[in-house]
Amino acid sequence: MTSPCSPLSPFCVSASLVLIIVVATAYLATHLLYEWLAKRLLIVSGAEYLVLGILLGPQVSGVISVESAESFGPIVVLGTGWIGLTVGMQFYLPRLVRITGLTFRLAVIESLVTLVVVTAAMWWVLPTLGLTSEFWAIVPAIALGAIAVASTPSGLDIALRDRKRREPVVNQLETSLGVNAFVAVMTIGILFSWVHRAPTSALRPPTPTEWAVITIGVGVLGGALFHLFLGEERKVDRLVVSLGGAIILASGAAAYLNVSPVLATLVVGIVLVNTSRGRTELRTVLAEAERPFYYVLLLLAGLSWRPSTSFTVVAVVLLYLVTRTMSKVYAARATTVWNKATPQLGRDWGKALIGQGRLTVALALDYARRPELPIGDVVFTAALASVLLTEFAAARLVRAALLPIVEPLRDLAHRLPWVDATEENGASITSENAAVSGVFVPPQNEGATTLFGPEVDAPAQRAAPDQTVDKAADSVSNKSKGEPH
Amino acid sequence: MRRVIVLMLLYLLMQAVLPLGEGTPAALVLMAFGFLILGAYSVGELATTVRLPKIVGYLVAGLAVGPAALNFVSVPVMEQLAPVSELAIALIAFLAGAELQIDEVRKRGVLLLKMMTAELSVSFIGIVVVLVSLHHYLPFLDGAPWAEVIGFSILFASVAVVHSPAVTMALLSESGAKGVVARTTLGVVLLADVAVVLTFSGALALTRVLAPPTSGGPVVSSWAVLWEIGGAVLVGAVLGAVVALYLRFIKRELFIFAILVAFFGAEIAGLLHVETLLTLLVAGFVAENAGGGEGEHLRHAMERAGAPVFVVFFALAGAKIKPEAVIQLWPLVIPIVVVRAAGIWAGTQLGAWWAKAEPAAAKYTWMGLISQAGVAIGLSSVVANVYPERGEEMRTLFLAIIAINETIGPILFRLSLLRSGEAKPESFRGGGH
Repeated sequence: MTSPCSPLSPFCVSASLVLIIVVATAYLATHLLYEWLAKRLLIVSGAEYLVLGILLGPQVSGVISVESAESFGPIVVLGTGWIGLTVGMQFYLPRLVRITGLTFRLAVIESLVTLVVVTAAMWWVLPTLGLTSEFWAIVPAIALGAIAVASTPSGLDIALRDRKRREPVVNQLETSLGVNAFVAVMTIGILFSWVHRAPTSALRPPTPTEWAVITIGVGVLGGALFHLFLGEERKVDRLVVSLGGAIILASGAAAYLNVSPVLATLVVGIVLVNTSRGRTELRTVLAEAERPFYYVLLLLAGLSWRPSTSFTVVAVVLLYLVTRTMSKVYAARATTVWNKATPQLGRDWGKALIGQGRLTVALALDYARRPELPIGDVVFTAALASVLLTEFAAARLVRAALLPIVEPLRDLAHRLPWVDATEENGASITSENAAVSGVFVPPQNEGATTLFGPEVDAPAQRAAPDQTVDKAADSVSNKSKGEPH
Repeated sequence: MRRVIVLMLLYLLMQAVLPLGEGTPAALVLMAFGFLILGAYSVGELATTVRLPKIVGYLVAGLAVGPAALNFVSVPVMEQLAPVSELAIALIAFLAGAELQIDEVRKRGVLLLKMMTAELSVSFIGIVVVLVSLHHYLPFLDGAPWAEVIGFSILFASVAVVHSPAVTMALLSESGAKGVVARTTLGVVLLADVAVVLTFSGALALTRVLAPPTSGGPVVSSWAVLWEIGGAVLVGAVLGAVVALYLRFIKRELFIFAILVAFFGAEIAGLLHVETLLTLLVAGFVAENAGGGEGEHLRHAMERAGAPVFVVFFALAGAKIKPEAVIQLWPLVIPIVVVRAAGIWAGTQLGAWWAKAEPAAAKYTWMGLISQAGVAIGLSSVVANVYPERGEEMRTLFLAIIAINETIGPILFRLSLLRSGEAKPESFRGGGH
């Protein structure tokens, strides 16, 4: 991982060293600023690494050469695999079965509509603008459709950090984020199986279905190996070794087979979360490395990005952004109205899904690193442009979507002093956030928040707004009777 | 049984994936990395069931999956995984430095210096004598004039006396031993590592005079050697001070910070042409002793981050072993290994008597000094660069010697810790790597 430089040069700075210095400095700076930015301004940090990567890369300063950027290939594969695992870890079946059918229906419809609309738009525009042949256009079109489905959970995490109470709209968003991720990863995984190049060494090239099964098989085997390896041991050190081994092996094997490492590790994640007794420890270990990995991935994405300013590419990017945004907002609105869920969810919860982040970057990198697939640079550009434009505002988009439906509850909370007292006990950011962002006052968290809510779902968290009001009224009456609250 | 199933599954996975895949070399490297983590770790645990240190299991696993046997990890893949070894060496050096408390250095520094001097001197002389005696049978010395015989024997001995800080640290981490034998062994190994850089540079300069290299080779000036040592202390001290400041004022995200420090230390040492091991050693020492009591947290984070890296490092060392070389050269290898071991034993006895060391240290320290690994391979590669033909033949002999020493070394060190009562058999089955 060194940049080619003259052997006579006394200071031949390697690409690795530049990367270490940049990541360390940027990470520390962002880490110190991250919480401040998130609390005060509701800004999601991350896109700046993409810009930094572009600035350091061969397109701008050339501090890191093309060869050096390509030598970071294993880190890219590992990073995408890591993100796949974190997505898979959200699908804990006992919790999934508690989610109502309506919530799932809305989430699935919104995901599929976005997938179909963006794919259709891209399938039309790509050959029309002469970027690819009509025959091949379906491949990048589906890839862009899949990438468009993915939304970042960072916005929700920041806007609702430390929050105990969960209104239906929050549950809906968490479910939608999970379903979006699942649909996006599955679609990309199946696409890669479908267009897989036949290996020259095999006696009979596997069919697309077999490639899909192999991808999932790699994930299942990775999960099984983790369990066999870990046994009954619960030490964190051993957990790190087994988790690291399983992720690296599964993502490496999937990449070597030229199938999707994100799908393979998503399966590893699903297996782990549903069979491991140390879910909390696993999440802790994953969380320790998740954000740094994402930053490195963004940086490497920036390094290998060759943005084009040609009219055709700009047109594709604009169409992608517009169709995606419209699909997210209007598909969510239409399906909510159709299912008569407007009183609980409002009409604009789709806005909270506009932000794109880590999964988008991982999927785009996974597509772009395959030279056999058409117009990888255009797909990559569209995805990264969307991350650049939407991620930093993701938390604000969540706030904008939730405010109309959650605001009445806040008013109620202000009128009930003991409810305020409970909530202020929750976190120091309570009053600050409420004042600055207008988000509903967040009380203390009781567990790790995931796309499908905290580990223990309290009954109040699943209650509809009117039920929450009833509960508040109940607590008034209990307090007046001197009963413990 | 579970370990055997893991190994079988891994074997089947590799057998199924390798013929089907045509991915990038990067993907193959990543897969091999994951395979080595799980596979070598499992073999390491199997090794504990037959009362061998885990590290021997890692080496055996590497040998089995390396080019000498199954070839799941081929030579190009090993080359691609070189940064993992660099990271491991950096982590090991930092951790070794962090083990040294300033009070202990003040208290036992002279004792360690005396033991190290005696041990290195006696084993060095012993190896020179045996090489001169056997020079007719050595391919790189057969028929050479006496001056060259003496020059190359000295050069050979300067590499052959090297110990392995990596193996020492790995065993100490695995056993958790902190007694007098553990600390004396670690101290001697670390001091010897610094001394070897000096003696090797001197030996290389002398051999250049006695047997000038045909191709010229890279010139090593005395200033360069001084800078390599002095600069390492300076750079390590600055790095350690920065780490100490971080530990005092920020002390967050230590897991990531630990990896970054090790990577950065190794890269900056390479960039400034200073000794990597010594740089990280000094950095670890300064960070631990100036970190305001927070050094322990960083050490734990480093051990956690390094656990998979160490496994792969030793597995790669095992994969580099060439059994055919050992078999071919065994009539030469065995006398050299025996004389080296005898020299280490005699030297530590002499050193212990001179320094008035504790009886346990006098009796058992030599057993922890037999191991050899990465440093010796690195120095033998330098010789091969300067003397392409003879150096290559020397390196083959070195690799055969190292193969034996890195296998029996950990077993002997484990035995010494057990016999001295500083570790218990069950502690080798527990944590650590």
